[in-house]
Amino acid sequence: MALDADVEAVREWATVEPLTFPVLIDRDMRVAELYGFVNVPASVWIDEEGRIVRPPDQALGDDRFRNFTGVDSSVHHNHLRAWVREGVRDIDDSRTLEHLQRPTDELQRARLHRRIAVELLDRDTIDGATQHLAAAEALAPNDWTIRRGNLPLVGEDPFGPKFFAFVTEWNEAGRPGYQLSTGKVDADSPL
Amino acid sequence: MGFLIDGSIRSNVDVITPKPFSVSVADFAASTGWTLKPEGFCQGDVCVPVRDPKLQSADGVVDVEAAAATLGRVVVIDTERGIAALGDTAKHLADQMNTLVAPDFTLPDLNGDPVSLHDFNRRKVLLLAWSSW
Repeated sequence: MALDADVEAVREWATVEPLTFPVLIDRDMRVAELYGFVNVPASVWIDEEGRIVRPPDQALGDDRFRNFTGVDSSVHHNHLRAWVREGVRDIDDSRTLEHLQRPTDELQRARLHRRIAVELLDRDTIDGATQHLAAAEALAPNDWTIRRGNLPLVGEDPFGPKFFAFVTEWNEAGRPGYQLSTGKVDADSPL
Repeated sequence: MGFLIDGSIRSNVDVITPKPFSVSVADFAASTGWTLKPEGFCQGDVCVPVRDPKLQSADGVVDVEAAAATLGRVVVIDTERGIAALGDTAKHLADQMNTLVAPDFTLPDLNGDPVSLHDFNRRKVLLLAWSSW
């Protein structure tokens, strides 16, 4: 599930090699808000009964950003294999409840501003979109899907100076967001 | 012409007054599922009582901000551009999350075809949020 407004940007990544699973577009970040995704890449596990059995947590596909994230991605992969093959969970219900990403009304308002901004971008109403994106960022200053996810909407580099300024702010705010730190091997990494 | 966003549902609406942003009862019902009647906002047999005088007096018109307050939704309104977005409150989402029941959803795939969580009933699902950015 890609949290992107631009379907073609998703296609570019999703067609590099044949995939055995569906790739969905959550343009409005509606499913992101239902499950509490505040950054990517991240995962939630859902069991055969339709219950959430692992809360939103960083879920890296590989170690290409390890110097940045300080995370050994194989730890999460091994937990996932154990659950899929043997039904063994590394996180129980009480820890799942503890680590859900419950939103604030400010974040909810930020998400509404972003939806309006995306609608205005579709109409090429750039001024209005920029105002709503700024309003969203003021309401949700530490949410990656808002702060970083907004950058490509207005042609900004998601690895550019605005991103690194945000990372500094986010670190100063005490790194809010996913706290399970699955596979974290370097506590002093930038992220 | 105005525009109403409710979750992922987007609808054109006729704006009756831009400020306060108000739309016709029919348009509000078509976009949100809630019909303003003398007994309240109704969806089938279920009605939410309306106590706000702004909603009681206006004949055939829904003040969107007042409606959101009555229905327990958050709302952002751009009166200049005639766009309102309604959404779930933090409390509503948290209450839902606390049940640990995975909410069903439908999203388009790369071909625009809808895919739902319930398509994977009785199977384990890894829901992975990623992005191009």
